Amino acid sequence: MNRLNQLPTLRITPSEKLSLNYRGKTVQGVAGDTVATALYANGVRVFARSLKYHRPRGLYSLDGECSNTCMDVNGVPNVRTENTLLKDGMVVKEQNVKGSADRDWLAFIDKLDWMMPAGFYYKTMHKPAAVWPVAMKQIRKAAGIGVISADYQMRGQYDEMFVKAEVTVIGGGAAGMSAALAAAESGQRVVLLESRPHLGGCFDYRVSTTAEGTPLYQRARELAKQVEQTGNIRTFKHTSMVGAYNNNLITAFQVGGATDAFTERYIEIRSDSVVVATGCIERPLIFDHNERPGVMQVGCAHRMARTYGLLPGSEAVFSVGHDLGLEAAVDLFDLGLKINCVADIREDGQNPELMLALAERKIPVLKGWVAAKAHGGKKVEKVTLSTVEGTVNRQFPCDLLVASAGLTPVTGPFILAQAKMGYDSLTGYFLPTTVPEKMFPAGRLTGVNDPAAIEASGRLAGLKAATAAGADMGNLVAAAEKAAASLPGPQRGCKLVTAPVKGRKSFICFDEDTTIKNIKQAIEMGFDVPELIKRFTSAGTGPGQGGIPGHNLPLFVAKYTASINTPVPTTVRPPLVPTFLATYAGYNHHMFKHTPLHDSQIKDGGIFRNIGVWQRARYFSDDFDCKEEILNVRNNVGILDGSTLGKFRIHGPDALKALQRVYVSDMSKLKPGRIKYSAMCNDDGCVIDDGVVVKLRENDYYLTTSSARAGQTVEWIRYHTRFDGWDFSLVNLTDAMGVINISGPNSGKVLAKVIDIDLSSEAFPFSGYQEFTLKDAIFVRAMRLGFVGELSYELHVPASYTQAVWDMLKEAGAEFGIRNFGVEAQNVLRMEKCHVILGSESEQRTNLLDLGLGFLWDRKKADAKTVGAVALRQAEKDVGRLKLVGIRMEDDNRPARDGALIVDNKVRGYVATMRKSFSTGQAVGMALVESQLADTGTRLEIFEDECNGVRLYARVVAMPFYDPKGERMKS
Amino acid sequence: MFWKSKPLWGSKTRLKSNYDAVIIGGGLHGLATAYYLAKEHGITDVAIIEKRFIGFGGAGRNTAIVRANQRTQYNVPLYKEALDLWPVLTKELDYNLMFNNCGNLNLMHSEAAMKSARMTIATAQFHGVESHLIDAKQAKELVPALNISEDITFPIHGAMFHPPGGIVRHDAVVWGLAKGAAKHGVHIHQHTEATAIHTEGGKITGVTTSRGRIHTPRVLISAGGYSAGLIYQMLGIKLPIAVLTIQAMVTQPLKPLLDHVVSSGAYHCYANQTLKGEIATGAHMDQWPNYTTQNTAHYIKHQAEALSDWLPCLRGVKFMRIWGGLADMTPDMAPIMDGNDHIEGFYMDCGWGYFGFKSCSAVGKYMAQFMASGNCPDMLKPFNLRRYENHQLMGETAELVSYTPNN
Repeated sequence: MNRLNQLPTLRITPSEKLSLNYRGKTVQGVAGDTVATALYANGVRVFARSLKYHRPRGLYSLDGECSNTCMDVNGVPNVRTENTLLKDGMVVKEQNVKGSADRDWLAFIDKLDWMMPAGFYYKTMHKPAAVWPVAMKQIRKAAGIGVISADYQMRGQYDEMFVKAEVTVIGGGAAGMSAALAAAESGQRVVLLESRPHLGGCFDYRVSTTAEGTPLYQRARELAKQVEQTGNIRTFKHTSMVGAYNNNLITAFQVGGATDAFTERYIEIRSDSVVVATGCIERPLIFDHNERPGVMQVGCAHRMARTYGLLPGSEAVFSVGHDLGLEAAVDLFDLGLKINCVADIREDGQNPELMLALAERKIPVLKGWVAAKAHGGKKVEKVTLSTVEGTVNRQFPCDLLVASAGLTPVTGPFILAQAKMGYDSLTGYFLPTTVPEKMFPAGRLTGVNDPAAIEASGRLAGLKAATAAGADMGNLVAAAEKAAASLPGPQRGCKLVTAPVKGRKSFICFDEDTTIKNIKQAIEMGFDVPELIKRFTSAGTGPGQGGIPGHNLPLFVAKYTASINTPVPTTVRPPLVPTFLATYAGYNHHMFKHTPLHDSQIKDGGIFRNIGVWQRARYFSDDFDCKEEILNVRNNVGILDGSTLGKFRIHGPDALKALQRVYVSDMSKLKPGRIKYSAMCNDDGCVIDDGVVVKLRENDYYLTTSSARAGQTVEWIRYHTRFDGWDFSLVNLTDAMGVINISGPNSGKVLAKVIDIDLSSEAFPFSGYQEFTLKDAIFVRAMRLGFVGELSYELHVPASYTQAVWDMLKEAGAEFGIRNFGVEAQNVLRMEKCHVILGSESEQRTNLLDLGLGFLWDRKKADAKTVGAVALRQAEKDVGRLKLVGIRMEDDNRPARDGALIVDNKVRGYVATMRKSFSTGQAVGMALVESQLADTGTRLEIFEDECNGVRLYARVVAMPFYDPKGERMKS
Repeated sequence: MFWKSKPLWGSKTRLKSNYDAVIIGGGLHGLATAYYLAKEHGITDVAIIEKRFIGFGGAGRNTAIVRANQRTQYNVPLYKEALDLWPVLTKELDYNLMFNNCGNLNLMHSEAAMKSARMTIATAQFHGVESHLIDAKQAKELVPALNISEDITFPIHGAMFHPPGGIVRHDAVVWGLAKGAAKHGVHIHQHTEATAIHTEGGKITGVTTSRGRIHTPRVLISAGGYSAGLIYQMLGIKLPIAVLTIQAMVTQPLKPLLDHVVSSGAYHCYANQTLKGEIATGAHMDQWPNYTTQNTAHYIKHQAEALSDWLPCLRGVKFMRIWGGLADMTPDMAPIMDGNDHIEGFYMDCGWGYFGFKSCSAVGKYMAQFMASGNCPDMLKPFNLRRYENHQLMGETAELVSYTPNN
């Protein structure tokens, strides 16, 4: 096809050739082409087949309002080729066809539409029931337009960007550019988003002129130049706005160009105010076979010629409802298109200059006429025009039918921002009846079409937006208001909903093959609200995001039901433009915290797991039973990175009161330099945390929480003391301090080599606390505790020194054979001692008493109003609660698996943790069982998954299993 | 012919001044209860009062997953019965509910998760429900698109495979139940708002609606996310329910890719393919209580990040539509079904969070029995409201949850 190479409006570079592979053949396009325009230039007219009826589909719009030109590009399905820029070497394939789009042997389905009325699948294929699974497979195969392979790897760089500005302008047409320039006069930061690769909007391709005689395309280029020269306007071209959220958070994505470092970029903009200048798309004209290849919207035909240099046909008929259609006819005629007839739906109201121009060119014009039927199989060959009432028909030959009922404002941004939408009877648009705060409409979407009015409305909106964002624009706003008011306002819109047709082949939604007849059927079945019809017929739920039926569906429903005076639009949902998951995912950060000892744990062979917000070394060998790690702690000395522990300091005159409120124990009895193990409960008495509290000195405490609770603890304490006005300070030291746990009979010897304090049980007893300074520099808090049941020290060290202290201990311990142990070894060691881990030996409903930790609860401190105490009192005598018990298998060689159930004829509990204990040689563990089964000696029946009816048996035994008197950890 | 168009759920009727029972909320639970009241208990003089249109709320916003692999013995039998009812209802209602019995795959990403899955699986097997623990390789065989490599945020350790579950076309259930209820004489009043419930001497006497007053001895509130608010507003009963927004989304339609429902707790993400070919995905709730169905920017981004990890081929697919719905969460993630306690003739069926769809058929059956007899069926007894008063949470969730600022 010959290109119109010399037009000043072109956005292609005809000399720069690009090639693509289409159905195995190499074809040529040029830089600036979209994939579809390049194919069109090579004679492709049928791009795809429709979802249900396999009807041929061609180029209809250029902005992706329907799936007509969706193709597979480089293995990516459903690419809207009409607005995807061509890149050299692209591989393009057709989708959803048997054969080719041109010759699809499934095309016969189109003749079977009578079998498929609205919602037919709900009424069929279920009798007899055996039919359904078979039918379902066929439905699945037939549905779903594109194909993605299970091992597909998306290539490219996906960037993300988080922008702050005072004003965001959506839409880079004349109104948007005017708005951005006006807002920028304030000195504020302005962001301008334009979905096409270039600024200009509806001015970009038009040669009609402004009042001053400047062609519109030239005016657009002037404005674009000003925008680009304005330092405080940041322009994102080829950027589609996709979401609007609370407080004017706008999201968008940008498609990278040849020189960009990204393929696509997710952009999130926080600005104070927003101008919406998104303009209009066209409202599709509904008539028989209104989506035949060769039927095209006005802007599409016009831009094909003016932007891409491609005359879209040789012989055309126009059926339009607005002046842009007449303007396009005149311009395309001048570019060489033969026009057999222009049918204008409107009886009157046309721009007289355009009518004159048509007359001068001897183009026949029929007022009050409309296309009723497009003829031709795979392409339009002829069109039947009729009067709007359907009284008279005439036929005209053509290979291009330019059809458009009117305009549809792109109001998506308003709807996403929770605007209420109402029908505007002048324009026929759905417009916001309440505009969201600090959001301002501008340009054609308000109904104005006059070029000067478009710019003026943009300027006014820009000034208002800057003011709303805090700028003082003086009397500029008033002046702009006056200027805008002096120009032509919103124009009357064309109200025709459909041509006079029965509608069996008149498509209201192309993506879902929904016809006017289908809509009527749905309404007759009681689906009388557009939103319900959308669900029932699927109209508007396809890849075009409702672009085709969005405006017509509610208009048609209102007209057909006649009972509703005001049409109600369906909801528009984000993303306004379909967006790749890859783009949304961006960098796809992996967000985990590392302890100060992370690197050394890796070096020591740690096998890591993500546990909560942390990455932790769970194992130190391939033996996930951790035998060596465990025995080394029991018999020698092991060292563990415990830095994930929650660590806090609370101090001040009322610190003790706060502790009394949240901890079940009486902390007033705690003496300086001593440690108390205790627990926190929620209002149900259920245990939410356990840890130790150290009294450093009067009114000054240091406390630890489980790793999982570290994040919530400050809020928890604050929340439960919020009405008391107490004076205390609370600091989260979790990330500021590392924790080293050194455990085993030789741990004291190792520690003694490193520090110079008395470690004897008299000077530093179990539950004791010491502070010391290592190497005159490193402040260490040391606690003597026994979670794993051996002599054990926990050293809390400033994070930056933790590695140094760790290295000292490792070096000192070398002669004893010190080695790391991980979280799993610790899990087994503490299990042998029946020390609970919350979440492992407890569930949400497990209270303090259920865990056997009732001894921690001090009932006498009533004044403290301890959280959970009331519930504990009430639940104390409840029968049937799940209690934590120790259990031992009858067969010591067959531990039950964690999670196995305790049953009789019902479920009575479950095994929380069970292992074959290396230390005792027994299969022991802990279980939560109903209180009736909790007595020592009770025989328990265990139901394991996949047990095939074979039960295991265990007995309730005393806890703990290892060193019951605690001599090892206390001596 | 068999597809002759006539109103599916009866023509619009006048609102009568007397009904034997009034159901507030034209969602799945209300419709199902009405259907069973009329069909099985002969109480056909029933009005459903729906403020918008049937299926406006959670009924039309869920992602249609059905399963019976809950954690406790109270829930599993109820959901099992609900599962068994899909084919039965399809036949009874003569409406294709499109049950795709594809099975559910619940991914586990840690040793701890495998342990909790084992308990859930044992519970299912104990109740005769099929469910198995499988390893990552087996999971990959079922879902070839799965990424089972070690270098993702939450490497897959294994999965809970639950073959009896799947997907049901949720809108079809709404319309089918409406059709069935109307056929048995139930009046469905859309665009009608209930504004007050009247009691006298501790008994229900009537309901005031935007279209007039109704005298009735029985009222059920089954208004999904709006239930707790309505119950408090109309009767002053405070429920331990926090309402949160939950969002879901679909991609553009694809040819068959996922043959099972796949979900992941660690990623807060599930994915299943609708019959139309879209990948439906969603999962976690917004963390703050609210009654809007607004979307948030982080949600769709999070979903993309999660799917990029464990179903990486979807990076080449586009999101098409996201929407929000309400989840009315109780502290133990189990619903409240109660009635005739405190106020005679008042029933409530709420607190379903995000499980309301999969349970609706069985719940309708039992709530109808409850309302017809006035006595709570054994199946529903564990779901009474008083369990919260008695600090006896159901245990449907193992983890501590906190949806309200109060706890």
